Order: sequence, then C-alpha cells, then structure tokens
Amino acid sequence: MDDFLYTRADRPETAVRLAAQPGVRFIAGGTDVLNLMKDGVERHEHLIDINALPLSGVREAAGRIELGALCRMSDAAVHPAVRGRLPVLSQALLASASPQVRNMASLGGNLLQRTRCWYFRDASMPCNKRQPGSGCAALRGQNRWHAILGGSDHCIAVHPSDLAVALTALDATVVTHRRRIPIADFYLPPGDTPHLETVLRQGELITGIEVPATLPAEISRYLKLRDRATFEFAVVSVAALVRLRGGVVREARLAFGGVAPRPWQSPEAEQALIGRRLDDASIRAAGEAVVRGAVPREHNAFKVSLIQRALQEVLR
Amino acid sequence: MSIGTSMSRVDGVAKVTGAARYVADARAAGMTHAVMVMSTIARGRITAIETTRATAAAGVLGVFTHRNVPRIAVPSGEALYVKGFLPLQDDRIRHAGQPVAVVAAQTLEQALHAATLVAVTYRAETPQVELALDEAYTPEPGPFGPPAYARGDVTSGLASAQAQVEAVYTTPLQEHHAMEPTAAVATWDGGDLTVYLSTQSITDVQNSLMEAFGLRRENVRVVCPYLGGAFGGKGLTWPQPILAAAVAQQISRPVKLVLTRADTCTSHGHRARTHHALRMGATRDGRLTAIDHTITQHVSRTDELMYNGAEPTKILYACPNVRTTLRAVRSDLPTANFVRSPETVANHALESTLDELSYALGLDPVELRIRNWSEINQETGERHGSSHLRDCYRRGAERFGWSRRDPRPGSMRDSGELIGWGMATASHVSGGLGGAGATAIIAVDGTAGFRSGTQDLGTGTYTVMAQVGAEVLGVPVRSVRFSLGDSDFPRSVPSVASTTVPSVGAAVARAATEARKRVIAVAVADRRSPLYGVSPDDVRTEDGYLIHGSKRISYREVMRRHSKPIEVTVEPPEQTPMRYSVGAYFTEVGVHPGLGRVRVRRVVGVFDPGRVLNHKTARSQAIGGAIWCIGLTLTEHALVDPHLGRIVTPNLSTYLIPVNADVPDMDISFIDRPDPSSDALGARGFGEVPSTGLTAAIGNAVHHATGARIRDLPITQDKIIAALGDGEPHA
Repeated sequence: MDDFLYTRADRPETAVRLAAQPGVRFIAGGTDVLNLMKDGVERHEHLIDINALPLSGVREAAGRIELGALCRMSDAAVHPAVRGRLPVLSQALLASASPQVRNMASLGGNLLQRTRCWYFRDASMPCNKRQPGSGCAALRGQNRWHAILGGSDHCIAVHPSDLAVALTALDATVVTHRRRIPIADFYLPPGDTPHLETVLRQGELITGIEVPATLPAEISRYLKLRDRATFEFAVVSVAALVRLRGGVVREARLAFGGVAPRPWQSPEAEQALIGRRLDDASIRAAGEAVVRGAVPREHNAFKVSLIQRALQEVLR
Repeated sequence: MSIGTSMSRVDGVAKVTGAARYVADARAAGMTHAVMVMSTIARGRITAIETTRATAAAGVLGVFTHRNVPRIAVPSGEALYVKGFLPLQDDRIRHAGQPVAVVAAQTLEQALHAATLVAVTYRAETPQVELALDEAYTPEPGPFGPPAYARGDVTSGLASAQAQVEAVYTTPLQEHHAMEPTAAVATWDGGDLTVYLSTQSITDVQNSLMEAFGLRRENVRVVCPYLGGAFGGKGLTWPQPILAAAVAQQISRPVKLVLTRADTCTSHGHRARTHHALRMGATRDGRLTAIDHTITQHVSRTDELMYNGAEPTKILYACPNVRTTLRAVRSDLPTANFVRSPETVANHALESTLDELSYALGLDPVELRIRNWSEINQETGERHGSSHLRDCYRRGAERFGWSRRDPRPGSMRDSGELIGWGMATASHVSGGLGGAGATAIIAVDGTAGFRSGTQDLGTGTYTVMAQVGAEVLGVPVRSVRFSLGDSDFPRSVPSVASTTVPSVGAAVARAATEARKRVIAVAVADRRSPLYGVSPDDVRTEDGYLIHGSKRISYREVMRRHSKPIEVTVEPPEQTPMRYSVGAYFTEVGVHPGLGRVRVRRVVGVFDPGRVLNHKTARSQAIGGAIWCIGLTLTEHALVDPHLGRIVTPNLSTYLIPVNADVPDMDISFIDRPDPSSDALGARGFGEVPSTGLTAAIGNAVHHATGARIRDLPITQDKIIAALGDGEPHA
C-alpha cells in the first residue's frame, strides 16, 4: 500500500473542492475502500474523510423518504419509516454483510462498492475492470458467481450491492451535490469500458438517496439466495414491489441481483405481470422474460433457473 | 476426582483476557518483519527479479531471492519435511503461491509495502491442475503403508451378492483456515537458533532446522506456547521457519514472519480433491459380501504423499472381501497434506454408499450397520480394546426419534420444507505414531508440575494433562501445572492423528505414578510422619493427602519435610498403540423444494472415545468436528482457475466456512466407558472422530428429503435444483 494523504472534511464544500483533483477519493465507512487499497486493487493519493459531514439521518417527506448518504446501513434498516413503508429496502439492508459491517458502512459507500469478482480482487490476475486491456480471466475461468445478463466480452463481474437492487425496484434517485440521477441511469453497462462503473464524475459527492413512498404495496419483498446462511453476497437476489387491484397486478417493479454487472431490470418481466393475476402462468412468463437473452458460462448456468425460481418464491 | 468432570480450560482466562501470548505476539529487542512475495504463475521459471526499488524502500533491511539466499539443505521426510524442495533455492516455479522473495524491514507495514515493489518476470508453462483420472497412477508405498490393500476376493464377493451398488463420490479441495495464521519468530544467538513457531510438532521442526542449517540438537530450540487452531496445517514442517531463520541469519536480527490469509492457502497444504469409486455387495439380509473402494487424489510434482486413506473401509465393517486402492494424479498444485480427519472423505464415500445399499435392500440404515458391526478390527484381525458402537447407534436413534422416520424419500414435510433424516457412522484411527516422554516435578510446597514437548492446538491439552496428573497423584487439579510447547522438554509426538491423549496422557500418567510412589516412599520412611512404617501399597492418595485408615498427611507436609523437589522423567516408548474411536451421527435437514436450499436443522451425535477425560473439552471437540462436516458438505470449496493454476478463493470472503446461522443446536453425548487396553486412564484418542460421518449423514438426509443423491461435495443449491427438476421430489 502506497503512502497517501488523509484529510477530514467538515463541510461538504471543502470535501468537494479537495476531491476535484484526480487521485482523490472520498472515504466514509471504509469497509470496502481500505481492503481494496491494502490488496493493491485501488490506489489513491488522497482520501477525504466525509464522516463529519451533516449527511446522515432519514427524513420522511411528502410521498418520499430521504436517506442521507452517510446514514449507516444498520440505522437505515431499522428506521420505522423504512421498515413500515419500504419493507423491501429494510430486508435488503438486513440481508447485507454482517452486523459489524452494517454498523460502519454508509449508504452512499454501499452504492459504490466494487465487485467481488476474484479476478478483480487479486491485483496480480488479469482483469479489464482493474487494469483495462489485461483481459477477463472469468470468461474461461472460474465463473460460478458471474453474470448471465448484461455482461460483455470484456467483463462479466456482478454488482454486489443488495441495497442497489432494492433501490432499483423502488425507482430511487441518487442525489449528488450537483444533480439528481435516477438509479436506473446511475450504473454503466460494462461494454468495452468495464472500469467505468457509474456516471459520477471526479469529486462528485453523493449527498442522499430519495425513495418514492406513495401507496403501500401488497408485495414489497427482497429475497437473497447465497451459499451459506448469512454474511455472504448473493448468488442471485430479487427485489419485488407489486401493487394489486382486485387480484390483478396494477404495478410491478422488479430488480435482480447477482446476475448482472449492475442491478438488473426487466421491463418485459414486469409487463408479463401487469394486468394479470399473480398465478403460476403469469409468474412463469415473467421468469422466462427475465432470462431471455441470458448468456450462461461454464459454472453459472444454474443461475438461469435459480433466478426464475427466486422470482416465483418472491411472488408466490 | 479430576477425570471425567466438565472442567473449563485452565488457559481460558489467559486467552480471553489477551494474557496468552501467541507466536505472532512475541516481541524481541531488534525485531524485524518479513513478508513473502509469492509466485503468480503455477509452473515455469523466473527469468528476472527486480529488487532495486524494494531494497531502496524505507526501513528495508534486505530483499532475499534465490539469487542471494545461501544454499540450504532440504530437510528429509524423516523430519516430516515432505514438500521435496525449498523455495528461494532455484529459479523453478512448482506451484502458484510459492515464495519467490522475502522482504525484511523494520516494520510490518514497510515490509508489506516493499514486497509490492519486487517485480518478477516469469517464463510460464501451461499448468495442469485438473484431477485427470486418465493420468492416475499407483504411487510408491508411503509412511502409511502400501497404496493397495486386499482381503478375500472382491470379485467373487460381488458375484455372490444379492444386492449391489456402485457409486462415485467426489470431494473438493479443502483448506485448513485456522483462526491463527502460521507465525514464526527466528532469533540467532551466535550459533544457537531459537524459533517460536505455530506448529503441531516442535520436535519435527527442530529436526528439520537441524538438517537445514547443519546444527546439533542442543543448538536449536523450538517453542510453541499457544495455537489458534491448526487442523493439520501446522503439522509437518513447512518452509516458513526455515526461511525466517535464513533471513534472520542474513540480517543478524530477529525476524518475525506471519502468513497472510492468502499465504496460508499455498504454504501448508490442503485436503486434495478426492474421487471415490465404490462397489459394494450384500446378501439379501444385509450382510456385506464385498467392498471395492478406489480413491484417486491429486499430488504435487515434488511429492506423492497421500493422506486420505481408506481406513474406515478396511477396518470398520465385518466384510470378508475388501479391496482398497489409492491412486494419484500429478498436478501443478502445492503439496497436499492432512486436514482435520483425513479419513473423513473415505468415510463419506463409504457411509453414503451404505445408505444407497440400505435403499437397494429396503433395510433401515441403522439396522444395516448393526448387522455388519464387529468387535474385531477387520484390518488387523484383532479385537478392539472396546467398542460400543452399537450403543452409539441405539442411543442416537432414541435421542433423535429415528423410529418415527418414514423411509420413503420426500415423505416428510414441515413449514414448506422437505424434511430428510439421515445417519452415518463416525470413525477414525487414533495414535499409531511414536510415544511421548514427560517429566513430573513435585515441588517442596507439594504442588506438581508436568512437562512434555507437546502442543495444545486449542483442544485442551493444558487442561486435560493437568487433570490426568492430578488424578494419578490424588491431588486437586488447581495444584497441578502442565507445561508444553518447548523442545527443551522431554520429546513428544506431533499433535496429529488424535494421538495426544493416548501418547502424552500415557506419559503423564506414568510420570505421575512414579512420582507418587516416591512421595509415598518418603512419607512411610519418615519417623515423624503419621504414615511411618505403613506398607507403601496400603497408602491411598486423595485430594492432596496420603491416607492410611484414619491416618493422613498432606503432600505439602511430606514435601516440606523432604525439603527438596522430587523429579521423575519417563522416556518416550517406541510407539503409541493404534486404536479406533467411533460414534454415530443422526441429522435432520430441511430442503426448500423450489430453491434447493439445504439447512441442517438438528444434529445428534453419540460417541465412544473410551473414558471421557473432560466432558467440556470433548463436547467442544465434537461440536467443532460437526461444524467442519457442515462446511465440507454444504459450503466449503477452494476453486482453482484451470488455466492459471491459481486458487481464486484465497480469503474468508470467497472460501465459505459455515457461520453460526448454518449451525444448529447439537445434542452431543458420550458412552463414556473406559477402554481396558488404554494406557491413558481408559481414554482413547478422539479429536478427529466427530469430523467424520456427519458429511454422509447430511447427504443421506438430503436424499431422504428429495430423492436426489448429490455425490459431489459441496451440496450447493444449484446441484439440488438440477437434480429436482421441477421441484418435485423423486419417489
């Protein structure tokens, strides 16, 4: 790990001014960035500690809930407004990491955590995301945990955040110090530039997340499947928000984790449910729509079936 | 009574308060820190190493590679150095994660940073890391005997069978992952070398260092006060203490070398992937007529030791015709070795196939095992010292409620889950290695000290040996102190193969017996003693007193008058006899019918380790063993990139050991009857037994729940959904 500068910012303007230079990065909970630096995966000349900025807390506003970027995952998960009005979000947060990590990790940092792809996380392996042009070892290598949807010939790493999947289903907005970004536009597809992961520019500070919370949903649920009971990333996950009228689906918002380089949306799957009853046929049609176009690899073909089963389980 | 209680560890308070100093906690004047640079290719040669930047970095005292480390003798297999080569001696790369440089610096941070500045250029060759069965060969006989074993005639045994099953079971590459990574601290004082090392065998490490540096025994001391788990990864001798000593010699400063978590995956072996081909035959009423068991595993290019033997197949069940064969496949992986309970994989294949046989016969799996139970060790033909395995089955079945089991797969459900009940036998050999020596010292204040050059893996050696000494002397445990982990103490055996209780326990018992005799002799010869003139054989000892009828005198008083300590040393015997400890596991799993998720809901384990010396430490051993089984069955597998030849799961984020939520409450109990053949107060070795058997019990339960046999571990949900198809259990 190279030497780096560390500065504690006490005002957002200071943080943003200091972070305008290349080689500078914000640090909040530090649960990911410190590991990445110790492992030589990321190098930063200067870390700006933003923990003292007034960006924590949860606020209920008309028709929405505003989450501070520095709100800790554990605090957000148990906040009465989140629990009561956004169960899918609370469940996703509680399914993440461990209590210790959730006590430290901020919501903004969670959205920016890097992939768990083992080729990315080992600085001596080929990886286009870490070192553009070095190749993607996962394409032919061990790819049990990798993407079946939305990948490219350059990268099939999956995005690890449960929170981002729930926020995608909730149609949330990421708020930065200079603009508002719908979460659907926040993450970039890997294409031939997998090292570019979000639309954030150098020094752009996430200040909060706005989540619409209008009518209650009949189904507001997050299901995470993994290879052990807890403290593990998703093999596949599903966030579902479904509103019914007279037993018929009026609105369906679905997002999928563990299957794609960013939280995966499937408008076709949502359309397969809208206007229909939630029954075996409609759920099956939705599941088939999700995996249409899936590109399974040697070790992850099971995700094609598992993600459909997970959707069935959530909607049943 | 000291033995048979449920005593807490004597070192427990020191451990939880941090007073216990592990090797990595060691401080010494002028201590320096070493960090290894590991090869990033699996096979090939180093063509260049650029060390200029690392050497110039702040705090760096030296950068060592094959170019500047003096030649060191490769220690022999007799010293349990099995790797076959030493790193930093030539330009050849024999596996990924092989040390190619060691950086020494004033601080750990400086060493870690400088290590990233070493640039190595390789000429890589294509590695072979698959378990390629068509390349399997029969290796030379190893320290565990010839790779082939046979009794009777398997072919005719199978031909005469009225029911036959044939199955292939496979197990993954499994890591040790002790909580404490191996640490070494090497210090030279002139020609004297002292190494603090987390090791399961100070004696073998001492021998290896003597051979490596051409030293005499009196010039090498190896110390290991505490271990934070080991599981075989600290057994044998590995390059780390040798590299630490070599660097310490070069820079004339004490050197501390602590493995990173990733280093541990390639530095001290792993359980090889294994492939088991089994054929089994039985009569209609369930008597085994033949077992044919071939085990294939990978070995490295530089050794061919195979630790995953077929002992349970050879020893356990009454069967006249048995053949076991070990086969090896060369690969460019690091040397494999034993991982807690080497027999667990053979046990898994055997006990899973037996379950298949029980279905082929329509016979209850417990009844099938009882029908083939024998009090004879089937390999040696000798009677076991004692064997209460049938009682383990019966008690386990009763505690579990086995009689309520509907044997039809998919027949039991609860809260939306498919319920499966499975069982299997747990078994492992213990002892069979050399013997241990020990010294007993009765001090003038009447307290007792024992010493032996053994180790405490965290299993309770400190505690149990104090109990043994106290029991034999007839004194309270609190007045006994057991010391270990120093090669200056009487020589002992490695803490492997469940051998500590039978070897060190026997040594402490012998030393205590002799010391007690001497104290009694002093007491009956002393005119002022109330026991004066009493025949020594008529004196009993209890709770710190020597007693005859109504007359008594304390150890303390005898020794005060004697005014000099009594010291007894017993020499190690040639061998500790091999014994066999057993048990039975019963388990309940819940399988989600749509998602294939498996949850272990209940575990009942009943064990026969002879006499239980300490119920608390024995129970902890059993729980730990069961958790190892849950890991091997459901979550753990180290993955190797087939093209790069590198382990891609070198951390606890990607290599999944079970978390608490994967582990149910367990009902553990013991038959607790002394083995009359034991030299250690009726106890046998036990530590490895409970990490066998539950793997098969879980797999058998998964079959009972779903109708699917998942013969490839770990049983992850993808394999279940593939087997289930549309989610309906097979009939």
